[in-house]
Amino acid sequence: MDLTELKNRAKEEIEKIVDLKSADDFFKKYLGKKGEVAQIFDSLKDLAIEEKKAIGQEANILKKEIEEFFNTKADELKNASKQAGLGHKAEKIDITRPGQKIQRGHLHPLTLAMNEACCIFQTMGFEIAQGPELETEWYNFDALNVPKDHPARDMQDTFWLKDTRTVKNEIKSSKLLMRTQTSPVQIRYMESHQPPLRIIAPGRVFRNEATDAKHGAQFYQLEGLMVDKEVAACNFKAIIEEFLKRFFKTNIEMRLRPGFFPFTEPSFEIDVKRPDGRWMEIMGAGMVHPNVFRAAGLNASVKPGLGWQGFAFGVGIDRLAIVKYKISDIRLLYQNDLRFLQQF
Amino acid sequence: MKFSYNWLKEYIDGKLPDAKKLGEVLMFHSFELESVEKIGKDWVLDIDVLPNRAHDCLSHIGIAREIVAILGLKLKMPLANPKEDKNLKIRDLIRAEVEEADDCPRYGAIYLKDIQVKDSPAWLKERLKALGLQPINNIVDATNYIMLETGQPLHAFDADKIGKQIFIRRAGRGEDIKTLDKDKKAFVLDESMLVIADLRKPVAIAGIKGGEETGIDKNTKNIVVEAANFNPILIRKTSQKLKLKTDASWRFENGIDPNLIDFSLNRIAYFLQKVAGGKLACGKVDIYPKKVLPKKIKLETEYAGRLLGFEISKVQCVKILSSLGFICNDAGPKHILVECPSGRIDVVLPEDLVEEIGRIVGYQSIQSVFPRVAIAPPKRNDEFFWQDNAKKTMQELGFCEAYNYSFIGEKERENFKWPTKDLFEIENPISSLNKFLRPSLSFGLIRNVKDNLKNFDEVKLFEIGSVFQNKKIKEKKMMTGVFVKKGKKNDGFFELKGIVEQLLNDIGIMDIWYDDGGGALWQEFHTAEIKTAGKEVGFLGEVSFQLLELLGIKERIFMFELDFDKVVKLANEDLGYEPIVFHPSVFRDLAVVVPSGTKTADILNIISAVGGKIVKDVDLFDVYTGVEISEGKENLAFHIIYQDENKTLNSKEVDEAHKKIIKALEENPEWEIRK
Repeated sequence: MDLTELKNRAKEEIEKIVDLKSADDFFKKYLGKKGEVAQIFDSLKDLAIEEKKAIGQEANILKKEIEEFFNTKADELKNASKQAGLGHKAEKIDITRPGQKIQRGHLHPLTLAMNEACCIFQTMGFEIAQGPELETEWYNFDALNVPKDHPARDMQDTFWLKDTRTVKNEIKSSKLLMRTQTSPVQIRYMESHQPPLRIIAPGRVFRNEATDAKHGAQFYQLEGLMVDKEVAACNFKAIIEEFLKRFFKTNIEMRLRPGFFPFTEPSFEIDVKRPDGRWMEIMGAGMVHPNVFRAAGLNASVKPGLGWQGFAFGVGIDRLAIVKYKISDIRLLYQNDLRFLQQF
Repeated sequence: MKFSYNWLKEYIDGKLPDAKKLGEVLMFHSFELESVEKIGKDWVLDIDVLPNRAHDCLSHIGIAREIVAILGLKLKMPLANPKEDKNLKIRDLIRAEVEEADDCPRYGAIYLKDIQVKDSPAWLKERLKALGLQPINNIVDATNYIMLETGQPLHAFDADKIGKQIFIRRAGRGEDIKTLDKDKKAFVLDESMLVIADLRKPVAIAGIKGGEETGIDKNTKNIVVEAANFNPILIRKTSQKLKLKTDASWRFENGIDPNLIDFSLNRIAYFLQKVAGGKLACGKVDIYPKKVLPKKIKLETEYAGRLLGFEISKVQCVKILSSLGFICNDAGPKHILVECPSGRIDVVLPEDLVEEIGRIVGYQSIQSVFPRVAIAPPKRNDEFFWQDNAKKTMQELGFCEAYNYSFIGEKERENFKWPTKDLFEIENPISSLNKFLRPSLSFGLIRNVKDNLKNFDEVKLFEIGSVFQNKKIKEKKMMTGVFVKKGKKNDGFFELKGIVEQLLNDIGIMDIWYDDGGGALWQEFHTAEIKTAGKEVGFLGEVSFQLLELLGIKERIFMFELDFDKVVKLANEDLGYEPIVFHPSVFRDLAVVVPSGTKTADILNIISAVGGKIVKDVDLFDVYTGVEISEGKENLAFHIIYQDENKTLNSKEVDEAHKKIIKALEENPEWEIRK
C-alpha cells in the first residue's frame, strides 16, 4: 500500500473540485465508512504488530491530511456559494457579448403616422369618422360640388368600376368608383350628425395614375372637418399649426396660399418647409362651400348665428410619413419588404 | 399655361418686379407656379391655371389683370380699333346660321379681303415659340397670338374655299372631316358633335379644330375669322370622344364669356391688318340671341372678416373688388351690391367674393387663433379602436404589419381561382395588374411571403384592410395573417391557432370553436372555420399546396382570415377579477386510444361535461402513434386539473370524478382508456 501515492491522488482530485456535490463524493470516496482510508485501517488487522503500528501512524497522518484537504475545500466552496446565492456559479462572464435578439413585430409607418395624427387631433376634440373606399359618384363628386362633365373632374383621375346595377337618371348617382379623396366622409357624416362637429377621417384613396417615387395609385389621406357657428380660416390655421408642431416635434414652418377645390370657398394650399429648405405641398383646405352643406342637408347662411360655417382639409399621410421618417421612395410603403418594415 | 414676362409687361402701367419675384407674387395671391425660365431676352412663367379660372386666366390679359390688382398698378388694354372698308359689307360676303342656340350661344365672325399670306414678323414668331407654339403663317399665327392674349379661341377660314353660307349644326352620323394637323388626321363624327359647315360639308369641328380643306394656304386672298362661344359640355364630350385636345377645346370646355367676342374680333381685325394688310368688311357676323348680363351679388362685408378671421373694412373690400374689375355699389350700412365682370364665370356667391378679398390681401396675413368652442370630448370610434388594439397584439406576437395595393391582376385571379362574377372590375385600369379590386388580403400577403423568403427564413405578416366582393356586402374590413417558417410542418397550424386565440382573447372574444373549413384558396383537411357566438368569423389553415406550387413557393404558408367588421361587433373590453382559489388543485392523467381522425374537441367536451365544476382545466399534452398503438389509432394523453373553489378536494372525490369521466368516455366503443 503506497500511502504517498494515495495522498497525491487525493490532493490532485480535491484541487479539481468546484462544487459541493463533488466534494461530498470525494469525502465518501476517501473518508467514508468504506472509503479508501478506512480500507487501509481494515487491512492492518492482518499485519504484524510492529508493522501495524508504523503504518497505522502513517495512515492516521494521511487521514488527517485528507480531512484537511476536504475541510479547506468545503469551506472554500461554502464561502463561494454564499456570495452567489443558492449554489449558483459565479464565473466571470464577458459582459460585452451581444444580447440575445428578441423577435418582436413592427407596425407599418403609415399606421404609426396615422395613429399619431389621430391622437393629436383627438386631443383637440376631433372625433374619428370613416367611410367606404368603394364610393358612389354622388358622394365623391356631385355632393362635393364637382359637377359632371366639368374639367374639375380631371384634377383627380378616377378609377371607375364596371357595374351593371347602376340606375340611370337618378338624382344621386350610384355609379361606383374608388374614392379619390376622403372628403365624401364629410357628406356622410353631416347627413347623420348635426353641427357643431369636429371630425377627422383617415383613409385610403385612389388616383388612376402611374406610380413613381413620389406618386402612387393609392395613398392615405386624413380628412378634417370642423363646423360651428363662428369657425374661421384663422382657426384652421391655428389647429393645423399645432398639429404640425406636434407631429414633427418642432416648430415647422408652414404657409397658406390660394388653391382651388370645388368643395371649399375660399380654398387654400398648405406647404411645409422641409429640412432641406424646400417647400412641400402637404394639404389642401378651405372653408366649406355652401353647396356642400346643402348637399348634406344643412344650411349655410351669411347671417351670424343662423347658419353654419366651417373648415375642411385633407392632408396626405404618405407625404407626412416620408418627411417624418426620411423615406426616399413612396413605393416602399406598399412593398412590405421586412427589411423595411422592421425599421419601425 | 406658359406666359411671357415681356408680353405681360405690355398690359401693365407701372413697374413690375423681376420675373421670379412676379411668379412668387402670383403664387401667394393667385395661382401655383410650375416654373420660371429664361428664354432669350424673355422669361417664361409656367402658371398652373386651375379650372375655376380657366375662363379668364388662360390669357395674358387675364394674368395681367391679376397682377395689377395685387400690386396696385393699372391695366393697359391693347389697341383694337380696325379700319373698316365702307365698300365691303359683311352680309354680302358671308352669312351664318346657328341651328341650336344651346350648342352655340354666340357666333361671331369678320371678313378680310385681299390679305397677304406670308411668314410672321420675327418678334411674333419668337413669342409663339417661347410659349411652345409652332409658327405657321402670319394669319394662323395672329389667331393664336390673340387667343393667348385674350383667351378667346379664333379660327381663320379661306373665304373662297367655303360657301357664302355657313351653318353651326350637329354632325350627321358618319360625316367625316380631315383636320389641319401635320398628319391631316381624319375624324368620323356623329350627331353628338357640333360642326361648322358650309352647304356641302363640315369645315371645322366646332371649338376644337379647323378642317384641312378650308385652311389658309399661301394663295389665300380672303379670309373669314371666327370667334364663337360653344357649350362647354358638348365640346368636352366631343374632345373626349375623338381623343382630340387642343388649345381651343381646353378653353371652351372650361366655359368662356360670350362677351369676350366683341373685343377679340376687333383686336384680331386690327392685328391682322398690321401683319397681313387687307380690307376689313363693314360689320360683323354676330348671332347672339341671349345676351349674358353681369351677375349681381349682395355682400355683407363683415362676412369676409368672419369667414377669414381678420378685420377688414367695407372700404377695403370695395377697393380690392374694384381693382379686379368688380363694380361695387353701396347697399346699406353693412352691405354692398357687387356687379361681376361677365368674364368671371366662377364668381356666383358671396363666398366667392370673400375669396377674392382674402387672396388679394394675402392668406399669409391671417393670424392663428384657436377656436372658442364648448369642450366636448370626442366620441371613440370603435372600429378604429379595435383595429389599433388588434394591430398591437399582432405586434406583440412578433408580426409585422403590411399594406398592400387594393388591386389584383387577371393572372392572380386565375391562380387563386377566384370567380370573375364575384369581383369588381375596374372600367379604366392603368394596366392588367390592377384589373380587379382585391376580394381578399391573401393575394398581397402571399406575394409578400414569396418576396421575403428570398431574405428571411421566417415571415410573419398581417394586414387589416378593405376587401371588395360583388355581393350584398360590397366592401368589408378583413384582418389576415400569414406565418411561414422554413421546415414547419403541421405544428405551424397549431402555432398560428394559438396566435389567433390570443388575438381574439385580447379583443375580448373568449368562446371560440372550430369546424372543418375550406375553399379554393385553402388546403383540404388543414383548414378550420373559426366560430364564435354562433357565427363564422373567419378561417384558419394552410394555403393550398396546389397554389403554392403554381406560385413557386417552397414553404408551407399558414394563414388566418378574420372578418373584422364582425369581430368588432363582438368585441368586449370588460375585464373582471375572479378570486384566486387557494385550495390546492390535483392532477390526474388520462390516456385515450382513439381511431385517427377523432376530434379532440369531442373528448374535451365529454370531460368538461361529465367532470363538472371541479374540472378546472384539461390539457392535451401528448399525441402518440407507433409501437404499442395499433395501426389507424392514436393515443391522446390529457392532464386533468381538479380543483374546488370552496374546499380542499380529498382523493376520494377526485377519484370518483375521474372514474365518472373514464366511464363516460368508454361508452364510445371505439375509444379505449389506457389504465
